[in-house]
Amino acid sequence: MKLKVLPPTLRKNNHYIVVDIYSQCEITKNEFISIVWDGCIRYFGECHTANFNLWIMRFQQIEHDSLKYYQSVIRCQRGFEDDLRVALTCVNNYKHDRISIITIGISGTIKSAVNKFFVK
Amino acid sequence: MFLDLNIKGQDFDKNIEMANHSKKYGWNHINFSYNPNDFKEALKFKKELNSYFDGTITIDYTLEFKPKNQNELVKITKKFRDKCNCITITGGDLKINRACCENIKVDVLSRPYLKRFDSGLNHVLAKEAVNNNVAIELSFNDILNSYLSYRSKIIANFKDIYTLYRKFDFPLVLSSRSKSIFDIKSPYDLLYFFKSTGLSEDDFFKSQKTSQDILEFNKNRKNMILKGVRRIDNEA
Repeated sequence: MKLKVLPPTLRKNNHYIVVDIYSQCEITKNEFISIVWDGCIRYFGECHTANFNLWIMRFQQIEHDSLKYYQSVIRCQRGFEDDLRVALTCVNNYKHDRISIITIGISGTIKSAVNKFFVK
Repeated sequence: MFLDLNIKGQDFDKNIEMANHSKKYGWNHINFSYNPNDFKEALKFKKELNSYFDGTITIDYTLEFKPKNQNELVKITKKFRDKCNCITITGGDLKINRACCENIKVDVLSRPYLKRFDSGLNHVLAKEAVNNNVAIELSFNDILNSYLSYRSKIIANFKDIYTLYRKFDFPLVLSSRSKSIFDIKSPYDLLYFFKSTGLSEDDFFKSQKTSQDILEFNKNRKNMILKGVRRIDNEA
């Protein structure tokens, strides 16, 4: 049986962070999920990361001449955007390949995040 | 205005790539750092670099070196003082840290905590840094390229420096010290990182102002006869 959906006042408020990802090797969405969780747990620990309410909403690859370049929208609980941003900034490598995650914007809805910051 | 005073300089093409990347993420000015051996070579394409970007991002050079002793510090600083807008000394050794803070010709003491178990600064050095207007540089790359206990120890050193900074108010410079485009972050990423380690937002913007002041002061350095006395053209 499915749980009944919470009334709007009891739901968590989310914000959406748009990030640019540069990598030396190809990464999949699942790999990116583990990179984000790993980065947060490493920097802030398990207890604080529990507040973030992380979820990857969008993930796309964009053509780049020399590197692998991706963009993603990450869901995060309102009030913890700065913490997530810091944790992602401190991610340095994945499986011995260099990776760089740069936050390019924060938005209240997925639609505006995609419209404003995503490369089409 | 966001300035990064320390990005590792390389050849012309690499510099363009790094500057393009920095420009994309919101930096207004970057300084490529070179050691004394490569500095002359790099000066040859400085104008070309600036004309390539046509003012959208301004580029300058920093001379960065790690002296073996105090004498070498004085010698190299004297030699290059008029040729570059920013002289940065890599710290770590207590004697070098002290000599650097006492030398008015030095602009920045970079990473005084390097390869040490403490921050490399105390109240005496902090006062000297204030008197001689020597900025202390903290580099984000040290955090980025370390992990676990090493990273924690560097953050602990940062926090010790923040404590001294709040009391003595010496010039503080925050830079990325990027070696490749993977190390370049947006200015706001750096802001929130330093905020998470205990520095306030105002202090971050003050550090950007400090970087700007260093560059502007050095453009006029030739005309500074004494402290507080500047030669001006006969404008009247």
